This record gives sequence, C-alpha cells and structure tokens, in this order.
Amino acid sequence: MSSVKQNPGLYKIVVTHYVFAAFCFLILSVMMLFSVNAFTGHYFHPQILAITHMAALGWGTMVILGASYQLIPVVLETELYSEKLAWISLGFFLPGLLALVYSFWVFVPGVHMQCGAVLLMLAVILFTVNVYLTGKRKKQQTIQEDFIFSACLCLCFTVALGTALVFNFTIPIFPQDHLHFLKLHAHLGLVGWFLLMLIGVSSKLVPMFLVSSYQKTRLLTASYYLIVIALLLFLVDSYFFGLTFRTYVIFAVGAAGIACYFMFILKCLRSRLRKHIDLPMLSSFLSFILLKIAIMIVPFIIYFHLKNNPATVRFSVIYGEFMLLGWITSLILGQTFKTLPFIVWVKRYEHLTGKFKTPMPADLYANNLLKAQTISFIIFCLAFMPGCYFMTIPLIYIGVAALVVTAILYITNVFIVLFHKTITYGKL
Amino acid sequence: MANFDITDPISFLKEQMMETLRLVTDPELYINIIDLGLVYGIDIDDSKKLVNVKMTLSSSYCPMGESIVSAVKNCIDGHYAGYVTSVALVWDPVWSYDCITEEGKRLLGM
Repeated sequence: MSSVKQNPGLYKIVVTHYVFAAFCFLILSVMMLFSVNAFTGHYFHPQILAITHMAALGWGTMVILGASYQLIPVVLETELYSEKLAWISLGFFLPGLLALVYSFWVFVPGVHMQCGAVLLMLAVILFTVNVYLTGKRKKQQTIQEDFIFSACLCLCFTVALGTALVFNFTIPIFPQDHLHFLKLHAHLGLVGWFLLMLIGVSSKLVPMFLVSSYQKTRLLTASYYLIVIALLLFLVDSYFFGLTFRTYVIFAVGAAGIACYFMFILKCLRSRLRKHIDLPMLSSFLSFILLKIAIMIVPFIIYFHLKNNPATVRFSVIYGEFMLLGWITSLILGQTFKTLPFIVWVKRYEHLTGKFKTPMPADLYANNLLKAQTISFIIFCLAFMPGCYFMTIPLIYIGVAALVVTAILYITNVFIVLFHKTITYGKL
Repeated sequence: MANFDITDPISFLKEQMMETLRLVTDPELYINIIDLGLVYGIDIDDSKKLVNVKMTLSSSYCPMGESIVSAVKNCIDGHYAGYVTSVALVWDPVWSYDCITEEGKRLLGM
C-alpha cells in the first residue's frame, strides 16, 4: 500500500510553521501601520527593509516551509526524509528572522544583524538538504521536482547573497554599489525561490483540487526552462552591465515562461471536472491576476531606469508590493484554507470516517470570516498600491488598516481550524 | 468498476457491501468513492468472514489516501458485524477521469 501517512510529528511541525507565519503576518501589518510615510520614499529605507524581510521570510517563506513538509511528500510521491532536520531548521530560522528584522528596523548593521543572517542561512541549508534527500528516495523524475529543487537552491543563494550584503555594511566585500547587489538578491528570491517553488507545488495541487483531466507537462517544462534561463541571464548580465536594453529581451524570455504556466493553469481550469470553485481557490486565482500586474510593471522599471528617471524607484516599490503583498499574500490567504483544514481534519476524523457522519475539511473554517478576509484584502490592494504610486498618505492608511483587518481575520480563522473540536452527526 | 457473477452465492452480499461503500465520500469532492470509480472489486471469504476491498486512489500519494482507506475499513466493519476488512490498493489499471460514473459526473456538476 502506498499513500502519504499523516503522523503526529509531521502534524506538529507543519502546524507550528502555520501558526508562526500567521503571527508574522499580523506583526507585518502592524509594522506597516507604523511606517506609512516610508512607503512614499526610496525602498532602501530601514523600515521598508524590515517590512520586506518580515513579508518575505516571516510570512511567505515560513508558510511555504511549513506547507512544503506536508506537500513535498505529496508532490514528490515519497515520505519526508527527516522531521528532526525540519525542527532544527525552524530552530535556526525563528531567532534569525527576529534578529534580522529588528536590526533592519532600528538599522544597526552590527553583530545582531550578522548573526540573524547566518542563522537564516543555516536554516535554509538544512531545509534544502531535507528536500534533496526526500527527492533522492524517488527514482522517477518529474518537472515538479526540477522546479522545487531549483527553488531551494535559489533560496540558499538568495540568503547567502543577503548574508554577504549584511556583512558588507561593516566589512567592504563588494566593489560595487550595495543597491546593485540588492537587485540580484531580490530577484533570486522573488523569481528563483518564490516563483519556481509556487509553480512547482501549484502545478500538482491546482489540477488535484480542480479535478482537472489535463495531464500534459509540456507547458510546465517550457515554463521551467524559460524562467530559469531568464533568471540566469538576468543575474549574469545585470551583474556585469547593470540594466541595459538587453534586459527587455531577458524580461520577455521570463514573461514567456510565466505565460506558459498561466496557459497550463487555464487548461486545467477548462478541463476541470469539478465545476464549483470555492473561495480559497478564487483567492488563488486573484493572486495570478496580481502576479500579471506585477509582471506588466517590469518594462516601466527598465524604461525609467534607462532614462535615469527617478520614477523607476516608484515603479520598483509598486512591483515589490504586487509581488510580496499582492501575489504571494493572496495565494497564501487562499491556500491556507485549502491545506490546513485537510491537515487538521485527517488528525481529528481519520479514525471516525466510515463509522459516523463527520464534518468535511471545508467545514472546519468559518466561511464568513474567509469572505470578510477576502473583501478586506481586496480593499487593501485597491487602496494601498495606488496610494503608494500616487504617494497619497490617506489611501495608504486605508490600505494598511484593511491589511491589519485581513491579518486579524486570518489568524482568527487559523485558530478556529486548529482548535476545532471533533464532532459527529450520528452513525452512518 | 466491479462486476458481479450471478452464479456466485455471495454476489448479493458483495453487491450489498458495494452499496454500503457509497457512504464513504471523498472529503474534497463530496462524492462517494463508488461513483468516483475508486473501488475495483470486493472479495469475500465467507467461511473465515474476511473481506478484501480492491481499490485505488486518484493519485498514488493522494493526501487523503490514508483516511479514505480507513473509512472503507470502518464502513464495512461497522455494518457487517463479524467481518474483518482489509484493503488492497492497486495501481493497475490506473484511475482516470473516465472511471467516474455518470452519477458521479452529475454530482460534480458536469
């Protein structure tokens, strides 16, 4: 017999990640509330750096790490190599995150910031080793595996470059401008880590959740190679020459890769057997729209950069916001209520199924709270992003307030799922 | 889909158990496992009171696999006192969307 076994150890590690991520999301929204003015300036600002790292590491990466321990065995069709490694990784990740974010917030680039960066690097290396050894157990290679392994490698390189940048504040390591490397660090993280990982996992889960009959992987293979080639070209070209006219071509290659992924999703959607699309999946589709908007901003960043126009900074800020707070956040807000109720349901009801009428996984979360959360998140997007572009403080305030509400609703719903008490509706 | 031999003395019991398994639903799709075409057949050793359900999952590492298997065992054990159920997961033939019954497709809104 073969199927993924849910054991108590795996449950604890996954749930711990979700809980910490939910708290980080709340802290992130409160940090934003205290930094509204910073969003009208340059992105190289202590509070923006702290917020970006809280969003990328505490929120986005934390959820992905937790979900990975549950989903990578599903995607790679084998069991997780080691739970112990996962706990040690979390043990390094949390203090590392706190030290790094606090040091950015108060901007003291000393030993605390450096220790934080080193701890984070150790954490992601352990995660990568765990994923690699999990995948090594399996003979058949799939395109999902390529996406996931490449994403893990990019995460390691992102954190390694980030650590070097942290040390560069006090010990000159890089001959060039700090901002030059910040671009590479950001894209390794956004495209290399988040994009590759989310495509890899979602390309298995979206057809599963939609019950889609589309099984071909040609579009995914094309997507993988185009994105990886574009990322490598961008890193090499912009390291040596900065942004040039060639960057447009590199962008076009990467955009073609993402277009292939969107076509794959569209084909899954069209061939789905399950016609009803629930709210968590709708939130995931909203995230794809936000990703498309983020991609459409890139040519403007290149154009204004080449013209030496300061508008490039504004577009860069908006681009980062659409990627981290738009695309990634929207995807997590939806997929949490697709994955977490299942994880909890299996623990609470597996022994009762077939004997008693039980609630279904989707009954474990409060649907009204999820609706309210989706509405407040849409308000955030509609107010915050234009507010930052037009530098309108009241709009930014409205947006951030909506994000705080979103975070409160999200964390409440997460705890509703986690503290769900087992109930039955009589014998079958 | 399972086939029944009318000359088999326990074919009625098999049919009955198959119907009972309609109580087991896929937690994501809300469709019973019979209409999803997951159950390939049932073998009954009436003298030893042993039931073996031959079934598959939509994917070999289906995240809900363990709970569906456990539900099948619970369902037969709970409704047929004295019988002990085992489940054999088989991957040949591989489950495909064509295995879904007309009723299953209707329930999925197709």
